[in-house]
Amino acid sequence: MANILILLIIGFPWLGALIVWLIGDARPKTQHTLAVAFSLLSGISSLILLAFINSQPAIDLSLGTSFGNLTFTPDGLAVSLTVIATVVGSLAVLFSVDYMRGEAQLGRYYFMVLFFIGAMAGLVLSGNLLFTFFFWEITALCSYGLISFYNDDPKAVAGGIKALIITQVGGVGLLAGALISYANLGSFQISELLGRADTIPTAALSFIAFSFLIAAAAKSAQFPFHTWLPDAMEAPTPISALIHAATMVNAGIYLLARFYPAFESVPGWKTAVILVGVTSALITAFMALTATDLKRALAYSTVSQLGYMVYAIGAGGVLASQFHLFSHAVFKALLFLTAGSVIHAVGTRDMRRMGGLGAKMPFARNVFIIGALALAGIPIFNGFWSKELILEVGLEHSPMWAYALMLLGAGLTAFYTFRMTWMVFFGTPRETLHIHPIGLAMKISLAVLSIGTFTTWLLFGGLNGILSTSLPFHEIEAESTLEMIKAVSFAPATWFALLVVTLGLGLFFAFGRKFALSESPAWLSTLTESSFGFEPVNRFVVSLVSNGAEKLRATQTGQLNWNILAIVGALLVVLAALVWGGAL
Amino acid sequence: MERVEYGLLLAGAIICAYRAIVSKRILSSTIYLACISALISVVLFMLGATQVAVMELSVGAGLVTVLLVYALSVVGEDALDPSSVISKPLAIAVVAVVTLLLGWMIYPATQFENLMGSVDLASVLWQQRVLDVWIQIVLIFSGVMGVLGLLSERTPGKAEGGHS
Amino acid sequence: MKLTEINIILIGIVSLLGVGFYGLLITRNLIKVVMVLQILVKAVVLAFVFSGKVSGNLGLGQSIAATVIVADTIVAVVGLALAVQVRRRFGTLDAPEISTLRG
Repeated sequence: MANILILLIIGFPWLGALIVWLIGDARPKTQHTLAVAFSLLSGISSLILLAFINSQPAIDLSLGTSFGNLTFTPDGLAVSLTVIATVVGSLAVLFSVDYMRGEAQLGRYYFMVLFFIGAMAGLVLSGNLLFTFFFWEITALCSYGLISFYNDDPKAVAGGIKALIITQVGGVGLLAGALISYANLGSFQISELLGRADTIPTAALSFIAFSFLIAAAAKSAQFPFHTWLPDAMEAPTPISALIHAATMVNAGIYLLARFYPAFESVPGWKTAVILVGVTSALITAFMALTATDLKRALAYSTVSQLGYMVYAIGAGGVLASQFHLFSHAVFKALLFLTAGSVIHAVGTRDMRRMGGLGAKMPFARNVFIIGALALAGIPIFNGFWSKELILEVGLEHSPMWAYALMLLGAGLTAFYTFRMTWMVFFGTPRETLHIHPIGLAMKISLAVLSIGTFTTWLLFGGLNGILSTSLPFHEIEAESTLEMIKAVSFAPATWFALLVVTLGLGLFFAFGRKFALSESPAWLSTLTESSFGFEPVNRFVVSLVSNGAEKLRATQTGQLNWNILAIVGALLVVLAALVWGGAL
Repeated sequence: MERVEYGLLLAGAIICAYRAIVSKRILSSTIYLACISALISVVLFMLGATQVAVMELSVGAGLVTVLLVYALSVVGEDALDPSSVISKPLAIAVVAVVTLLLGWMIYPATQFENLMGSVDLASVLWQQRVLDVWIQIVLIFSGVMGVLGLLSERTPGKAEGGHS
Repeated sequence: MKLTEINIILIGIVSLLGVGFYGLLITRNLIKVVMVLQILVKAVVLAFVFSGKVSGNLGLGQSIAATVIVADTIVAVVGLALAVQVRRRFGTLDAPEISTLRG
């Protein structure tokens, strides 16, 4: 049963992708309907798969003894992420029905989205590193294709190229780690790597561990690769919600969580993970303080929240990080989609031009506030519980300085979240903007997500259950929702965090409203605009690649024979070097 | 003594290859190519690689030749093969050096006795390297798309949508 | 160096490769480029089987050679399809001439 479900989860979106693409752009209505249908079918299959959680592979196809098997394992980690990918995916597709109405080239759009949903499910379900890599690259490709969807806009194309190049760094890291692991274990099976990590020589294991950390940081837009995500906001908003908030950027967290038991003992690895998490969370929280573009501000907060998850894994809290990932996927998708509906309605992304929209768009205002409260970590909402869990793990298992910085981050989060909400929905209107009404499909997906923001934390016990029973290497203790509520409510960490959050809110209401509209202090904006000095570094890498390619074009005359001569010449050089080296 | 047979077959293949390259008429090049295929498959057969020899003969000498002749009949033969962009002495010099170095590199690697017992093709392909079979299936699918491109009569006038 | 069977085949493979390289360097006609690639790949197939033979694992050599034959046939098909379409669109099969054209 589980094997059929897995095939359906990956098969429905991919089949849908082909069909929607083949139908052609002349029939947009059919395209919308089919895309929604196929993504919903995939979402439903993945919800059913929740009943078949197992630590053993459900699909085990032999690829021959030389490669290891192609397995798909429906364990708790994989299935929870699959559910997020497919359910949030179908909501985003539903949202697209209104958002993309009347756009050209819907076939390309839906093909990429559905192809992505299937690949994301495959990425987390795959039990074979080679195929994890395969699906990983498909998600990167779709992300690139969708960021650059409006390919007549140079900014969108540049953002897409940047995302592609930087996530490729991560892809190379993953491949290198997988190959080294294969060289030592003779298999690409993930379970082999987890089970026999102690048989790998220390040097090789640390190489794998740090390669995977690079892969995860690049994919999840963590420090020092955190600059591609804001530029990725040129994508259509449903894509920002789906790929760049709820799913693909979680692939890095997934990778770290999946291999945590294998790398736990590598010296320096956990500290490095904590460092990456703390740096990303803080830097981008500052950047969110000064952002004026609504989507960019949300993107910064995504990186910041992903930083919390990375930090949690570094502190050993795989469960806490997965719980926050789950909450974050829901409330951030809600925030992005609401932002999308606002942007769609008023036609600008600049928060300085908005203001006072709440009166005209009460529905959008209400759901955005729900999402914002969850992001800020206000009690009852799902973001509160998961963030408190992370901070609790951090207080117990991470260095004090890291915990203190993360606490500061929580205060900053509350501050920038309220600044954002206030700039968009409250105050006096700064410009008269013509407002289009929000469509029904948009409202449905927003309503579902906002209900989720209220309630998904109640699923903690279930998430914990599936994680603790189906991950033989992770040693996660079973804990029910009630126990979690008790533990969180009485933990000192919670009270510290609430104090800091209140402080952040107090600061906002005392000074923030002026701060929001006035120019932010020059030093702060200079720092944040250059991503604390890392934007130039990233830009350098990207320009190195594209300028290098541009310069190399001079050698590409397009003359076939000369190209062949160059190839043969290169072979000559290699051979000469080998012969010379062999003679030494 | 199989030395003479090997020598003759390979010499024949090399001469055919040379003729195929310098021939002015593409149709005769096609015939030479089929000859190379046949000769090589005999060599493969003598080496004991019977299955691959059969594949080479049917695919290399059969299918590819048919495809080439079909493609030539579609486009019409450009009898004239204009003189090359790269001067021939340069090409010969580069190729000679590469070939010599290559031979020099490979030679020591072949000078050892058989160490392992052989496993037959079927078990290698179906038990050890199943991924290869999958990749072949994907390749054949793209080949089918290629045949469609070969057969399509439609002149690609307008580019398909703005992948600019 | 004695002229053993192994050496003869080795010389044959390397010379065939050499002729193929030479052909790629001087050929301008796209269909002929596809043919020269076929020649090169025949040398490679022979090399795989030969190396399987000398290392004692003929099955592995054959398996890879079979994959190469399939891959190469597909290359030929796609290459020919491209050549035919290029000819239809540009009216020529001459590689240098095509590279100066703008579609």
